[in-house]
Amino acid sequence: MNRTLLEYTLRVRVPVLIFVAMTSITVTYFVTRPAREGIGYAPKQPIAFSHKLHVGTMKIDCAYCHIGVYRSRYAVVPAVSTCMNCHTIAKKTQPVIIKLTKYYDEGKPIPWKRVQKLPDYVYFSHSFHVNTGIKCQDCHGRVQDMDVIKQVSSFTMSACLDCHRNAPQRLSYIPNVKPGPTYCVACHR
Amino acid sequence: MADSNKENPEKGQFYWKSLKEFHDDPASAEAKANEFMAGVTDDFKLSGMSDMSRRKFLALLTASASFAAASCSTYPSKGEVIPYNKEPRGVIPGIANYYASTCTGCNQACGILVKTREGRPIKINGNDEHPVNKGKICARGQASILNLYDPERIREPQKKSGSSFSKSSWASANGTIISALSAAVSSGKEIAVVMKTLLSPTAKKAFDEFAAKYPTVKLYSYEFFSNVNRNSAWKKSYGSEQFPLISWDKAKLILALEADFLGNEGNMIEQTRMFVETRNNGDIKNFSRLVVAESEVSITGMNADIRLSLHPEEQYNFVMSLLHEFVVKRQVSRFALDRNVVNTLQDFSLEKFAERNGIDQKSLKGLVSYMSKYKDSSIVYAGDRLPESVHIAVNFLNEVLGSTRLYRENQANIELLAYSTAQDWEGLVSKMMSGNVEVVIHYDSNPVYHLPEDYGYAAALGKVSTIVTLAQTENESSAASQWLLPINHDLESWNDFQTRTGLYSLQQPVIYPLYTTRQKEAIVITWASGNESAYHDTLYHEYLMNRWQKEVYPSMKLAVDFKTFWYSALHDGVVSFVEKPEGWDSYKVESFTSLPTPSTSKGYSVVLAESYVLGDGRFASNGWLQELPHPVTKVVWDNYAALSPDTAKELGVDYNDLVEVRIDNRKQKLPVFIQPGMARKVVAIELGYGRTNAGTVGTGIGVNANVFLSKKGSFSQWIYSDAAVSKVNGKYELVTTMEHYSIDNIFNKDIQFTRGIIREGTIDEYEKDPNFIQVEREADKPVSIYKKFEYNGIKWAMSIDLNKCTGCSACVISCNVENNIPVVGKDQVKVSREMQWLRIDRYYSGTPVEPKISLQPMLCQQCDNATCENVCPVAATTHSPDGLNMMVYNRCVGTRYCSNNCPYKVRRFNFFNFRYHFDGGYYAQQPVEMVNNPEVTVRTRGVMEKCTFCVQRIVEARQEALQDGRKFKGSDVVTACQEACPADAIIFGDMNDPNSDVSKMREHPLGYYALEELGTKPNVTYLAKLRNI
Repeated sequence: MNRTLLEYTLRVRVPVLIFVAMTSITVTYFVTRPAREGIGYAPKQPIAFSHKLHVGTMKIDCAYCHIGVYRSRYAVVPAVSTCMNCHTIAKKTQPVIIKLTKYYDEGKPIPWKRVQKLPDYVYFSHSFHVNTGIKCQDCHGRVQDMDVIKQVSSFTMSACLDCHRNAPQRLSYIPNVKPGPTYCVACHR
Repeated sequence: MADSNKENPEKGQFYWKSLKEFHDDPASAEAKANEFMAGVTDDFKLSGMSDMSRRKFLALLTASASFAAASCSTYPSKGEVIPYNKEPRGVIPGIANYYASTCTGCNQACGILVKTREGRPIKINGNDEHPVNKGKICARGQASILNLYDPERIREPQKKSGSSFSKSSWASANGTIISALSAAVSSGKEIAVVMKTLLSPTAKKAFDEFAAKYPTVKLYSYEFFSNVNRNSAWKKSYGSEQFPLISWDKAKLILALEADFLGNEGNMIEQTRMFVETRNNGDIKNFSRLVVAESEVSITGMNADIRLSLHPEEQYNFVMSLLHEFVVKRQVSRFALDRNVVNTLQDFSLEKFAERNGIDQKSLKGLVSYMSKYKDSSIVYAGDRLPESVHIAVNFLNEVLGSTRLYRENQANIELLAYSTAQDWEGLVSKMMSGNVEVVIHYDSNPVYHLPEDYGYAAALGKVSTIVTLAQTENESSAASQWLLPINHDLESWNDFQTRTGLYSLQQPVIYPLYTTRQKEAIVITWASGNESAYHDTLYHEYLMNRWQKEVYPSMKLAVDFKTFWYSALHDGVVSFVEKPEGWDSYKVESFTSLPTPSTSKGYSVVLAESYVLGDGRFASNGWLQELPHPVTKVVWDNYAALSPDTAKELGVDYNDLVEVRIDNRKQKLPVFIQPGMARKVVAIELGYGRTNAGTVGTGIGVNANVFLSKKGSFSQWIYSDAAVSKVNGKYELVTTMEHYSIDNIFNKDIQFTRGIIREGTIDEYEKDPNFIQVEREADKPVSIYKKFEYNGIKWAMSIDLNKCTGCSACVISCNVENNIPVVGKDQVKVSREMQWLRIDRYYSGTPVEPKISLQPMLCQQCDNATCENVCPVAATTHSPDGLNMMVYNRCVGTRYCSNNCPYKVRRFNFFNFRYHFDGGYYAQQPVEMVNNPEVTVRTRGVMEKCTFCVQRIVEARQEALQDGRKFKGSDVVTACQEACPADAIIFGDMNDPNSDVSKMREHPLGYYALEELGTKPNVTYLAKLRNI
């Protein structure tokens, strides 16, 4: 009696238990991964701005709107006045531009939905990365092909470190690129 | 069963819970048999339960959980990004902008450079372009930024109704006030404006217009501590109004009598800078000697080469005895032939003076021979609080020595409006009492708190029908007013200041007024126009610009147009021009020979001093300053009666006992602080405390010692003779950040020397053997068991020159502001939970009567072999390849092992979320968080923190170098403490760069490391102090 129960436990119960546990961990890991890392997040924006049109077709430079990207930690989401540089004339009868003009005239900022976000304790600097020669697309994906902006890369610490450690492989287009710093105060302080 | 056990103990131990059980009570046996006690299950009825089976319940639970999980496919929201609507010119988020302006924390009007981020000011530095303070600013000036964001600033005009204030509007306030002003003029009654020193020529013009519109206006001005005695003495001696500025940097001997020129008197930033120029260890031939004779222990006294503790009333005799020595005995000047002078001096002699005061003859002989060696380079400087007679005698002594050549002829102070005299104030009060004053305007002043009580000013206010107070926060004078009008902070204001000849300092706003406040000058101009509608936002801006265009610009005779001139003036913050000071006449010897002998004290003398942290009390509501340890005593959040150890013994009091100090009928109880080095029979008390209406933070902190002030004064306005001091019952605990002095404690005695924390010597020792401190260091140099890490590239290091550090504490506040250091409160400092990353250690050596004082700024030493790093269980503190001892807040779990293992005790732990913990969350209120530096994490509870060598500045500088495409150099980084140090004692940079200042300091023969024998390999080099004795 005892012997068969032990056999049953070892042969059936334990493998099944291990299988169930591993499957559920694996499934959970993959199912929740995009949500955890935010990959694929493409919220509906208050103004249906198309990067594909502005960057892809019209070839406007990223830094025309994101004015801080070369000089500051922040790339900076442009002020409404930056849009109005063109849109006081361009396409001003279209409904979406009328909506934009309304924001401008009322003196209200556009409440863009945030797509990419790092935790507060990470002091990431766009300036460092862009001035080193890293392309925007390396982290933000092919923005010039996106009608609705979405997150394509993981912004976890391991993703940062992966590139910092293997910069010569990941950024082979930059001559003599050195691995990025991996000590704590490079990002946390 | 039980029986068998009881009777057969060998079968096993019998345990019993009660005597009933032991005696086999049947009830007890039944209770044991039942699972539940009687009655417990009465409410349990199977029929009343749900008929859902357990299996079904679990199935439903699983199903709902999986549905919930399946519906979680949407991403969590990351919030919104709110950009600007219209892009402000010159503002890029993440990049700081700097604006030149002027500080009015005291009457020196130093130039400041305000750092703003995204339009909000976050730090005040000195303005490099300003010729007086040259890029440095004192602790109070730096901390004044917290007052801008004080949650208790008044937000709109207030009208007194009953005993409290209620909201009103500018229209109704100004309407009422203007009609009261007009009524006063038509009835011929006085309009009294009470203000502090008037520093702005444009404001003066506004007051001229105000007085033209309302002819009965009279201006009264005061300063709680001022140099009136010095100036009146100067006028008697030399005929001109203002005591000249002094070339401290050219002096070989400075004899400071009760004078705190490195602390609270004059422009301490400029004076400190010029003084330390003569304390350069690279130029010991020109080393100055600082001799201080004082009754209390001041910052200047701490830095003295020779310090004599002298009763303040003896200063007159001291000067006269010195004069006797030089004029009569050594016949060093033409005045030796003046019979009147010789007669005046005949009763004095140094021997008699030394004998009476128990001063060593030898040290006086040394002083005299040094003085006669460097005659015209020996400046004698009497303190502001000494009476006119001493100043006159000192003027004569300088004339005799020929040191008048150290008076600067190229620049002088300017006084736009003379201080009101005692007669003026008495006149005002009697006019108020007789109903001849209709309107009193407290123009950013607080006379109810500041004026001596015996004027009866507060009582006289009761007879005035309209009292208006212009202030940022409520104060004692506003409480007695009908109207409380909120005014702009410095950082919201326009103005110009002139405190010296040939120099204008401009003030420009760096933020739009946070509340519906107005600039105080604009309020006066509105009143002068007689119409509230005359006010608009840019009123004073335009007024200032107009005056400059019409009056200042033409006199400059420039080739550029006004706009260009004005914008460049605003950009620089200062305008220098050629203006010859009025100069002075030849010395009037009759001022000296007709000198009345000042009184001497029979009992105790009370010395009233300005607080180093609170100034005249205006910073009482500033938590950073309240918590800044007193530079000498290290006491926080309090004032006290400082007594010498002998005096305390005579009175039978110890620390924290209470004494009652009585001068005539004015008395106050104060806690005792025993201060080594004080003169006997002297009680030193700092004023500025004991405010009764200074908001949540400042009210009731310390004791109000202003009650001792009397309009007549005594020995002088700030020194009172013949006081009675007695012990009274009770205790009051003072809190210091350093242990009470341990000179007599044999365990701690001279620990700073025995452990090599402080190494110092004399310039003679240094001259003989420049490596003299290295000789003792040899024994301490340890052998390391760690493998040496190669630091290639930049390695950060700091050096602190203890010759230059005066202990002024500007660095501590600079660090507080830069690194978002919270205020913790007195109760937390008491249990050593102060959060300042940088402290200035003060050590005594010698005897309690004549202590030598050594200072040492102590901060994280960024050790190569950091003891803290080895013990952190979560690797939250590790080492960077550029030599920084990193602290990662988001990794720290708060074990505090690191702090326990740190030999320098420079780590600080957030026992609470101090912003919420302090004073009911006072500094957690809006808008205080606006003062935070966005580049530095605001630490929460349970996190360890410490000095980071301003790593945020290192990163920023590296980023800028990369942007500009240049090589990153160590000299690109300036730490906050270095930036603030008026003495330039702190040098920061790359020790791997052989040309950097810091690497030279590390090789300097005077360089040493604190607690070197522990093998921590610190990266902060201290340069040993040299005393010129």
